[in-house]
Order: sequence, then structure tokens, then C-alpha cells
Amino acid sequence: MHPISYFQAIVLGLLQGAAELFPISSLGHSVVLPRLLGWNIHQNDDYFLTFLVATHLATAIVLAGFFWRDWVRIARGVGRSLRDREIAPGDSDARLGWLLVVGTIPAGLLGLTLEHALRKVFASPQSAAAFLVLNGLMLFAAEALRRRAPGTDALLAGAQADIRLSNRLRWRDAIGVGTAQALALLPGFSRSGATMGGGLLAGLSNEDAARFAFLLATPIIGAAALLKLPDLAGHQGDGVRGPALVGALCAAVTAWLAVRFLMRFFETNRLTPFAVYCVIAGITLSIIFALT
Amino acid sequence: MRKNRTLIVPAIVVGLLLIVVAIVYFADSAGALPSFFPGHQAGSSHHHVKHGIAALCLGVGALILAWFQTGPAGGTQRRVVR
Repeated sequence: MHPISYFQAIVLGLLQGAAELFPISSLGHSVVLPRLLGWNIHQNDDYFLTFLVATHLATAIVLAGFFWRDWVRIARGVGRSLRDREIAPGDSDARLGWLLVVGTIPAGLLGLTLEHALRKVFASPQSAAAFLVLNGLMLFAAEALRRRAPGTDALLAGAQADIRLSNRLRWRDAIGVGTAQALALLPGFSRSGATMGGGLLAGLSNEDAARFAFLLATPIIGAAALLKLPDLAGHQGDGVRGPALVGALCAAVTAWLAVRFLMRFFETNRLTPFAVYCVIAGITLSIIFALT
Repeated sequence: MRKNRTLIVPAIVVGLLLIVVAIVYFADSAGALPSFFPGHQAGSSHHHVKHGIAALCLGVGALILAWFQTGPAGGTQRRVVR
């Protein structure tokens, strides 16, 4: 018998793919949902972590595919800058590439050193529900404290999103947004929510903040999944590979739909609806868990 | 990006040191690590691969920083053709 049934894998995969990119914390939902539905799955179980590796890898592949042309341009820009030993003025691809590298370093280091300890301490449905409330408040705060995005700048009007990003973000902004990403190590805090919020505080529009968040998420999610991929191939993957594959396919579908939806959504909308959802869901779940 | 030539030598030294640290983490178990290394645990056979990856990334980052500091001072104004 599989420790995760195929039905559970489908539900968790569909949830993971969407919640990873929506600013509502996929990890928090993955912790809360099994408890809510009475499933005997715990966040710290080896097989569940192995299952999550597969769904995360699928999400990273989808993100890389969605922004494939951008990644090719960015990689060429980084290559140019390495060849020339400088980021040429006006080379927005090179600058954006290095902004992404700089933004990835803090979250990567914090993830490598703290992930295991934080997961052991905070991987309970109760703490995930509480952090979900805090995630909602963080999204509210980001919208309230945001710097005005200079959308009427004549020089930048109509320019490509990447040129806007590379012009507006300073190096310390990239470090700040990257560090905010590490909040996602706590189940209940959203990686994309933290990075989008950081982008708003740095003066980006919602659309540009979402774009930067998704670009920033790809290497970190992909690297984290690849690092743990041997677990899926090894004995920890015994009995869970089939459900993991099904879950990964489901995650890929919803991740694709989610990134398409969100890139359009943030052209005209804000983080506020997700903030409202997180606060209401977090409070409701906290009450349910306290009563049961 | 402003150039600072005085950073070149320290960045190379730090980069190479961190790469050596990464190799030690990859090669030695937690019990065999020098006692001043984070993650040292007497008698443990666990390998701190993640610590090694972190040190390697920082080391490569330091070498890249040094590489950029060796570039043309003041920045060129050439046009980027894509």
C-alpha cells in the first residue's frame, strides 16, 4: 500500500502547483490540508518530503518553460558581462541576471543552513495557520507601505518589463527581496508573497514585482528540488514514486495555469485579495484546530 | 558598477579559501571536520553536503566579484546589440 494514495497525490499536486505561485503559501497549505481532511500524512515524514520534491521540481520546470525566452536572453546577458568583465550600461539582460543571482544568494544560504531546523520546529498545522495570518498581514503591509511605482516615466513608458526591472531595482533591493524570500522556510509564509511584497517596497509595480518573483523563484525551487532528487530515486522513494509522478503532473498543470493567470491578474490588480484570504483562512483554521 | 581594484586580491583569497572549505565539507564527515568548523560533531559519520554547497557558492561568488573588478575602469559606453 502506498503511504500517499493516488487520490491524495492528485489533490496535493493540484494544490501545490497553484499555491506555490499564488502568494498564499504552498507549504502552509500542504501542512494544513492533510490535518483538515483527516489524512495520516505529516510534514516531517520522509515519504511526504520526497513527494514534495517531485511536485516542486515540476513547478520549477513549468516556470523555466514559461519564461524560457527570457531566461535565454538573461543567460546571454550574464555571459556578455562575464566576457567583458563589466555590466555594460544599457545591458538590462545582464543587469537583471546579476540582480537575480544576488537575490538568490541570501535565500539559498538561509535555506541550506536553516531549512531542516525550521521545518522541525514549525511544521505543525497550528503554527502554519498562525503564520498564514501573518502572511496576510505582510501582504496588506506591503501594499500599504509600497513606494509609488514611477509608471509615468516617459523614458520607461512602453519599455519591456525587464528593462523596467533592471532600471528600478538597486543591488540592495535585490538582496532585500531575496532575503524576504527566505520567509517561505516557515510553513504559512508565501515565497512569492514575500518577494512580491519586497518588490513593491522597492518601488516596482504589481506586474513587475510578480515577474521578478517568478524569475527569482525558478532557480531556488529548482535547485532545492534537484538537491533532494536522490531521495526520490533512493530507498526513501520506495512506494511513493508512482503517486509522486502523478502529483508532479498535476502540479505542473496548475502551476502553468497559475502563472498565466497571475501575470495577467497583476497587470491591473493588487495583493489585497490574497491578503484577505490568508487572514480569514488562517483565523478560521486556527479556531478549528483549537476546537478539535 | 563601480570598480575597486583593492578588492581583487582579498576576493580571490576569500574565494579560494571558501572553495577549500567546501571540499573539506564534501570529503570529510562531521566527526572528521576541524573543531572550529560549523557542523563539527565528534563521532558523527554524517556529511554536511549543504554546508559544502553554501561554501562553494560563496567562493565562486567571491571569485566572480574579483573578476568584475579587473574589468575596464569607469565602464565603457558601447552599445549592446541583442
